[in-house]
Amino acid sequence: MSRILLVEDNEMNRDMLSRRLTRKGYEVTMAVDGREGVEMAKQGGYDLILMDMSLPEIDGWEATRQLRAAEETRSIPIIALTAHAMAGDREKALEAGCDDYDTKPIELERLLSKMEGLLNK
Amino acid sequence: MTAQKASISSRPGRQRRLARRQAALLRLSTAIAAAHEETEVYQSVVNGLHDEALGYNFLGLFLLDPETGDRVLQASVGWPDVPENWRVHRGEGLSERALRDGQLHYTADVRRESQYLASLASGSEVDVPLRVNGDTIGVLVVESSEPNAFGEEDFEILTAAANQASIAIGRARLLAEERRRADEHKALLDTMSDLSSELELSKVLQAVLERAVTLLGVTGGEVAIYEETNRELVVVASQNIGKDSTDTRLKLGEGAMGVVAESQEPLIIPSYHEWLGQSEQYADVLVHSVMAAPLLIGRRLVGAIATVHSDPERIFNKEDLRLLNMFAPQAAIAVENARLYTEAQKQRQYFQALVRNSPVAIVTLDLAEKIVNCNPGFEQLFGYTQDEVIGRYIDPLIATEATRSEALAYTKEALDRPIHGIGQRRRKDGTLVDVEILGVPVILEGERVGILAIYHDITELLQARREAEAANTAKSQFLASMSHELRTPLNAIIGYSEMLQEEVADLGHQEFTGDLEKINTAGRHLLSLINNILDLSKIEAGKMDLHLESFNVKAMVEDVVTTASPLVTKNGNRLAVEYGSDLGSMYADLTKLRQMLLNLLSNAAKFTEQGTITLAVDRRTELEDRRVMLVFSVADTGIGMTAEQMGKLFEAFSQAEASTTSKYGGTGLGLAITRRFCHLMGGDVQVESEPGIGSKFTIRLPAAVTVAGQPAAE
Repeated sequence: MSRILLVEDNEMNRDMLSRRLTRKGYEVTMAVDGREGVEMAKQGGYDLILMDMSLPEIDGWEATRQLRAAEETRSIPIIALTAHAMAGDREKALEAGCDDYDTKPIELERLLSKMEGLLNK
Repeated sequence: MTAQKASISSRPGRQRRLARRQAALLRLSTAIAAAHEETEVYQSVVNGLHDEALGYNFLGLFLLDPETGDRVLQASVGWPDVPENWRVHRGEGLSERALRDGQLHYTADVRRESQYLASLASGSEVDVPLRVNGDTIGVLVVESSEPNAFGEEDFEILTAAANQASIAIGRARLLAEERRRADEHKALLDTMSDLSSELELSKVLQAVLERAVTLLGVTGGEVAIYEETNRELVVVASQNIGKDSTDTRLKLGEGAMGVVAESQEPLIIPSYHEWLGQSEQYADVLVHSVMAAPLLIGRRLVGAIATVHSDPERIFNKEDLRLLNMFAPQAAIAVENARLYTEAQKQRQYFQALVRNSPVAIVTLDLAEKIVNCNPGFEQLFGYTQDEVIGRYIDPLIATEATRSEALAYTKEALDRPIHGIGQRRRKDGTLVDVEILGVPVILEGERVGILAIYHDITELLQARREAEAANTAKSQFLASMSHELRTPLNAIIGYSEMLQEEVADLGHQEFTGDLEKINTAGRHLLSLINNILDLSKIEAGKMDLHLESFNVKAMVEDVVTTASPLVTKNGNRLAVEYGSDLGSMYADLTKLRQMLLNLLSNAAKFTEQGTITLAVDRRTELEDRRVMLVFSVADTGIGMTAEQMGKLFEAFSQAEASTTSKYGGTGLGLAITRRFCHLMGGDVQVESEPGIGSKFTIRLPAAVTVAGQPAAE
């Protein structure tokens, strides 16, 4: 069972996505802001991180850079989740060190295929 | 006493008498020599001969009138009851003979002569011609009441006196001619100096007329100027012709001035009222004879002048004509100068009025950049009076600390070429004003003399622009934040409805599936609307940036096809893809291109059932400008559109028909965004369609998109 860290400040989004992923058989842990996300990731034990980009405290971009900089989290795949495909967001996310990128609202099938792609590498 | 009586005197008496006669003749010679005027000469001749020592008691001096041949008495002595200027007609009287042959004639007994006219009943007469330059100009008549009163000695004395008189007359005439010429010359000089000092047209013409009247000694006259536009003379000065003819308009050939204007030759009309060329407009004038001349510069007509005599006795002669011919060219030049000056003056006044009344601030500077002049608009804009600014440097006066160097640069440049800029300047009271600045070098007769600068207050314009920009920014920000705020709850609606669908499927409550799907579809539609509005507002705010990158065209299309396939095939449609050979790569905004192609495919699928949707891609070189373009077309076999429907297709919020929206859905923004995206990338989108046959949308984009005219980095 893959363990997923979902970093998302919006409660409804967090609830929705965690429930749907749980139903699909993932073990989902949640963080509510960038700082918490980085701390939890560093404690270890996650196979993949879903990172919302607009977060309080430190945002998704910065959190990703920190995760990539730290030895223990460097290799954990990260999928960036952003609001509507803002021009340049995709490039920005990949540049910050994300492995993939998806837009909200979440299309579960599409997200799942991206997740599986990274988990199976 | 007569010579005969003297000759019989005694010797000593004769000596004494001779001495007295010598003295008398000397007096005569002296008097004649002293005479300057012709009339003085005549008088001195008859008075000098009427001397006791000479004994001539009845004397008369006649001059020949060359026009009539009559003799006119100029001076006489001893003749009672003779009228002044007594005229002896041609062919009458004894003295006629001396006039005819230029010889002295002696009539010893006048009673024998039928021609004798004078009042003396008897006696003798000597007639001596007066000759000047070989022409007989008159005759000196000496009479005695006794017959045979004159002898050789008298003939000698009288001939000598006549000769002296002739010489004196010739000299007096020369003098008079000289004087007259001098007068004429002075009159012309006066006219010219008057005319050149007086440049106002009406005054000049009045002066011209007055000069002509004085010079020619006429009663009055008039002057007209020629108006080339309507080929008419207009009387502008009129003096003493029995009416005020000012403003009378004459056609060429009409009246005396019209005739001379047309023929360009002067004209004398001896009796105006008998003249057939009279203009009706002059039927009531009190003139007897007229002399008119055209005013010409070269062969160009500038006006006409007419002079009149109202006295029937005065008739224009060749001498008058000569004078007028001398005068007319001067007058013509004066008139023309005055006309040109008046015209220039009018233009000057016109431009001065323009500058004075212009609401914009206008200032002229000399080459040292000091203010020469400014208009009320300048005074009003900057709060200085004209007196305060004249002679001051413009830039230190109104430039601010911040704009000083820019202002100086403008001024320097404006000495050479026109400048145009926008800047801030300072009023006298220290407040700032936003101005549009125009500066041009002032060039007079090829020489640079200064600068004309115009300041236009654009404070309000700039304020309005700033407000408009602020409002636009606020609108964009509002839309952006609105979109974000709307999207968050929408994501929840879409997400939860989707999740519920999955759950009801798992739990076997299929009866809820349809409703949940409707919630989900509506949510997604609302989301796409919001996204599109955001895109449009960004484009309109100029904030839609292009993110250009190189990518493989075929790979991109394949990706789009994969994404679109489920959508396209939904209505039982088939998707065909045609790849041109050698598509290669392109440099463009990948995301936007994908968005456009997906939009076109989704549209095609929406309006087509059980048909074929063809996506074709090709690489072409434009014939016109050799640009390499990538051409993407999406053709369907759907419902198609009429020409009218196609017209509004690319406008925001327009589907072909409102009714289609309810039937087919869609935001009506997709094509508007597509077109704007195409334009942003230097391309275009076009549509061909036929109702019932289908539609074809074609996107053309440069293979290498450039931003803001910068060549793309390959």
